Amino acid sequence: MEISLIFEMVLAAIFGAVLYTIIGIAPGTDETAVLAPVTLILVLAGMEPIVLLSFFMSAIIAKKLSDSIPVAIAGIPGGVMSAPMVEHAMVLKKHGLADVSIRKMASGSVIGTIISVPLSLILANLLIPLGDLLSAYSSQIFFGGAIFLALMSKNRWLALVSIVPFALLIQGLRHLYWGVGAVPEDVTVFTSFFLGITIGPIILRLFELLNRELRSKIPRREKNLIILKRQEPIKGFPNPFKILDKKEVLSSSGSSVLGIITFFMSPVGMTIFLGETFTSRIKDPIKRASRAISSMDGVTNAAYIAGILIPLIAIGTPLSPTALGPGMALFNAPPVFNEDHNLHHLLSMNEFVIATVIGAVIAICLTYFITMKYAQQICSFVFKYIPHEALLGVFFGLVLMLAYMDAGVINIFGVLLIGLVAGILHRWGVNYGVQFMILYAAPWMVGHLVF
Amino acid sequence: MTQQNQSKEQAAENIEVWEDVVNIKDLVFSMLICSVTALGGYLIAPNDSQQPLLFGLAGVVIGFLICSIIVKPKRVLRYEDEE
Repeated sequence: MEISLIFEMVLAAIFGAVLYTIIGIAPGTDETAVLAPVTLILVLAGMEPIVLLSFFMSAIIAKKLSDSIPVAIAGIPGGVMSAPMVEHAMVLKKHGLADVSIRKMASGSVIGTIISVPLSLILANLLIPLGDLLSAYSSQIFFGGAIFLALMSKNRWLALVSIVPFALLIQGLRHLYWGVGAVPEDVTVFTSFFLGITIGPIILRLFELLNRELRSKIPRREKNLIILKRQEPIKGFPNPFKILDKKEVLSSSGSSVLGIITFFMSPVGMTIFLGETFTSRIKDPIKRASRAISSMDGVTNAAYIAGILIPLIAIGTPLSPTALGPGMALFNAPPVFNEDHNLHHLLSMNEFVIATVIGAVIAICLTYFITMKYAQQICSFVFKYIPHEALLGVFFGLVLMLAYMDAGVINIFGVLLIGLVAGILHRWGVNYGVQFMILYAAPWMVGHLVF
Repeated sequence: MTQQNQSKEQAAENIEVWEDVVNIKDLVFSMLICSVTALGGYLIAPNDSQQPLLFGLAGVVIGFLICSIIVKPKRVLRYEDEE
């Protein structure tokens, strides 16, 4: 491999780590909505596949490391996946142990990463023989997945009933675009619909703001009060195996392994489930909380890494929530990647290993080191100077641009329509997982509906 | 108008989106700015290979900087000293 390519990979990994350390800290940023558009742009801009992978690995590891910082310091989740940790982090914060909880969380993350990189690669290798079979039936699997996830969700009948109508909306728009000549008939608009789903809740909110009656009913909040703990800086390079005690290392390793094996399940669900299972018998609240946060952070990292690596290496179709969400652009980003031509087909096993290791090592070195030392300073900077409006504006702008790029002006309104419907469904309890599965299975489903 | 009144009036227009507090007017403003800079960049770029995308991306970054300078975050930080 050429030196210049490795240099590019390192640069891309540094870029990913820095960008997503900052975004990770900003409160409430959804993993899919912040990772998918940027990855997509890099794919479309023609970045080398191997460079893309090292960027992506570094970005997800950095995001997972940093989104637990605001949980420990201020009790607000930096992302959807860190929400389950808030309760435990608050116990530690109440006992004046916020700094301990950052260190335990970040160390759990590092352990999760160290375990999941090799284990995911091994598991992926074992699954390769099944890959062709799985990808041949991917539409059926996605359809089954949509039904399964719908049945698991809170409002299961609502979710179940919404599957076919939502598929009709997606296919309806595609046929409309072909009909009016917005795109040639061999082009299937995909990415902008995907992004429309991810920013659905925001689009729904915006439509509501235009309705006077609804606007007056939206609850008002004057300020978001965030209370930060002052931290003592740590000297030297923090060693995760010293920060966690033996039992914590064991339980975060154990739960990470389980998180990897269940890569096709929802990572948030597994985080809650494994975190609670591993700690329910501990009586001392402080010990219990610190065991819980270190294990949970281990699972989230492990599940995320496995969720992207295993489908990429073994299958070539995004058969996991991580791959369907944040990692979508690595599988399907027409015209660069499609189901028969993506990272799975372009990279060899060695290249997967190299890109993953470079991404992981850089993210851990940069983000782990920085977050350990300057957690409080970074948090105050982000909270003080980066307005939430600007972040929302950026992702909205990106989605509009990509919508226009996909199929012209008509698609800007098409994406608004998809976002509106997806946003309503999301609010009613039909989660992203179900919606993404429908998006994938839509052509197959609608094709089988005509009798 | 006194400053207090002003902040009260602004407070009445603050809502929660994505688990953080935003001001409706500022949000609409930011979305407009970012959309204009992103699409603008995409449209003025020379029409070859990846140029429009890169210009659009640059537009988004510019939009983000403008919004960050003009819009003030609605978070209030309070420090608690560790005992």
